[in-house]
Amino acid sequence: MALSSTGQSGFSISRRTREELLANLALIIIVLVALLPIGTTVLISFKREEDVTRKPPVIFPCDTPTAKFDLTACRWSLEGYERVILPMPAENTPLGFELKGRMLNTYLPNTVLYAVSTALLVMILAGLSGYAFSRYRFWGRDALMIAILAITGVPLLTNLLALYQVGASIRHVAEQIYNDRIFIIIVYTGFYLPMSVWIAKGFFDAIPRELEEAALIDGCSPLQGLGRIIMPLATPGLTAIFLLAFVGVWNEFIAGYLLITRNDLKPAMFGMYDFLGQNIINAQVVAAACIIIALPMVLVFLIARQSFFRAMVEGAIKG
Amino acid sequence: MNPPASAPLAKASDHKRTRRRRHDLLPFWLILPTVLVLLAVQVYPMFYTVVLSVQERQPAGWQFVGLKNFDILLSSAALAESAGHTLIFLVGYAGLTLILAFIIALLLNRKSRFSGLYITLLFIPWILADIIAGAVFRLMVLPDYGIFSGILQNPTLFPPSGLSVLTADAPRPWFGSFPFPPSPAMVYLILAASWRALPFITLLLLAALQTISNEVIESSRIDGANTWQITRHITIPLILPTMVVALFNLTLSGINGVGMVFSLTGGGPGTSTTVLSYLLYSIGWESLDFGRAAALALMLGVINLALIGGTLRVTRVQQRSV
Repeated sequence: MALSSTGQSGFSISRRTREELLANLALIIIVLVALLPIGTTVLISFKREEDVTRKPPVIFPCDTPTAKFDLTACRWSLEGYERVILPMPAENTPLGFELKGRMLNTYLPNTVLYAVSTALLVMILAGLSGYAFSRYRFWGRDALMIAILAITGVPLLTNLLALYQVGASIRHVAEQIYNDRIFIIIVYTGFYLPMSVWIAKGFFDAIPRELEEAALIDGCSPLQGLGRIIMPLATPGLTAIFLLAFVGVWNEFIAGYLLITRNDLKPAMFGMYDFLGQNIINAQVVAAACIIIALPMVLVFLIARQSFFRAMVEGAIKG
Repeated sequence: MNPPASAPLAKASDHKRTRRRRHDLLPFWLILPTVLVLLAVQVYPMFYTVVLSVQERQPAGWQFVGLKNFDILLSSAALAESAGHTLIFLVGYAGLTLILAFIIALLLNRKSRFSGLYITLLFIPWILADIIAGAVFRLMVLPDYGIFSGILQNPTLFPPSGLSVLTADAPRPWFGSFPFPPSPAMVYLILAASWRALPFITLLLLAALQTISNEVIESSRIDGANTWQITRHITIPLILPTMVVALFNLTLSGINGVGMVFSLTGGGPGTSTTVLSYLLYSIGWESLDFGRAAALALMLGVINLALIGGTLRVTRVQQRSV
């Protein structure tokens, strides 16, 4: 009896290590398959035009007439990137050249402006109202919170027609004060706020009330208490809200495409779509544009991934 | 210099009262900016969409036409076909993503030394924009030049003439005009959309798996249950509410997501990947028929609200039962 039970446990341990190995192997394969599309895009972006327009296609541009794969004969190039950023020799500039590509000198700066402004506004507004919802019981509070939750269910897409008409009317009535940039930033803010308010409330709920009560007793005003005690503790939550809105706006396409009227004010995703229409045979140019636009987000994510995970689980389960 | 004792006292209590009142109004001031922005960007456009949906643009201006827009829309073949595409897309996208996410979450839940690394790497597709993801997937199957075109366009592997994903027509439908089986482009769109949604759903399910206590699993293992039985009778029932939330989430993102259709297929070939969200764009901004587009937006909005309502019920039940 005793013998068989030790035999059993010995067997189960070895079975566990084997299962462990198999699980790791499966996960490695899954990770490789998941990253395959990104890997191929990186490869394409460094190829030359002659190598992306070959039949049958080659994965590595490393073949020679004599050998199928020769590492020393690889024809890597930055042609795709050059055609996206278009460096042109120019006098009177510190580097001796200018970047003429619209992606780098028009669309991406627009995207940075919209993403940073929206994320800041969302963070501030959601911080203030999330705090109020977490700390005060006032008339209409519960109804308002349910209403905000319901609004998270209204997709940007179905509101676009009306927003487009609103923009057109404002342009028609008051052309001097209408501004594409301000309009789109307000629209994005309104779109990312509802979810952010709920996430903010969740983060504030987790900060113990006693801290503020102590500050009030020590003579802080409620606003001082908010600024000096609560905000520093809420920083991780607010950072997460900022990052989610930032990435959301960076990656948003349809509203930027349809609501902004002037082409020179449109964001990078529009530039990408435009590029795709013009360069579909020049895969290396499209791939390079993809990487230029996506790399900043990948880096932001790799640096701040804990923040993202916390906010996403919070938002998904509560919202 | 000896003021009546009552004056400072009264003053103090007065001060206290105004402070209390300011304090009472504070939450309203904190919420006011949020409410204003939401009224302007979300609530007003919602009502405005209703108004648009019963109007038609005439040369003289907007004119009230009653339910004509809905009438035209509901009797149009384009809507029926597009609804079919959407249904096929949703079933494929939600089903594939949920199954794959569950398998990956189960593997990750074994808490290997490298779990953190796997999760980080698996998450990179999530951070990419749908436009970028669509472009990336399009590059892989460009007719003749894409990396997979050599295999897919091989006629011996995929008779009769090889599978040119972005240009091949849909097969002849089996059931009347319902667009099944889907075109190769639709299958590929489903794959691409699942690829991008997979990380988030995996994380959601993993978070739920991690709340299951080890003791339950261990004790059933001691009672002689094998891995499959544990998964079937303990794990799945315990995370079922989260799976329903994930399903709603996928349905919502599937109905409203349109960027990938733009950059991967453009609704084609023909209309074989024109889902409802793309149809909305095409009626509104290509045919410039805002009234009819608003009617469609309204229908999509109602579906969305119903799905959100469903999600809320499930999460409520979940919170109560935990």
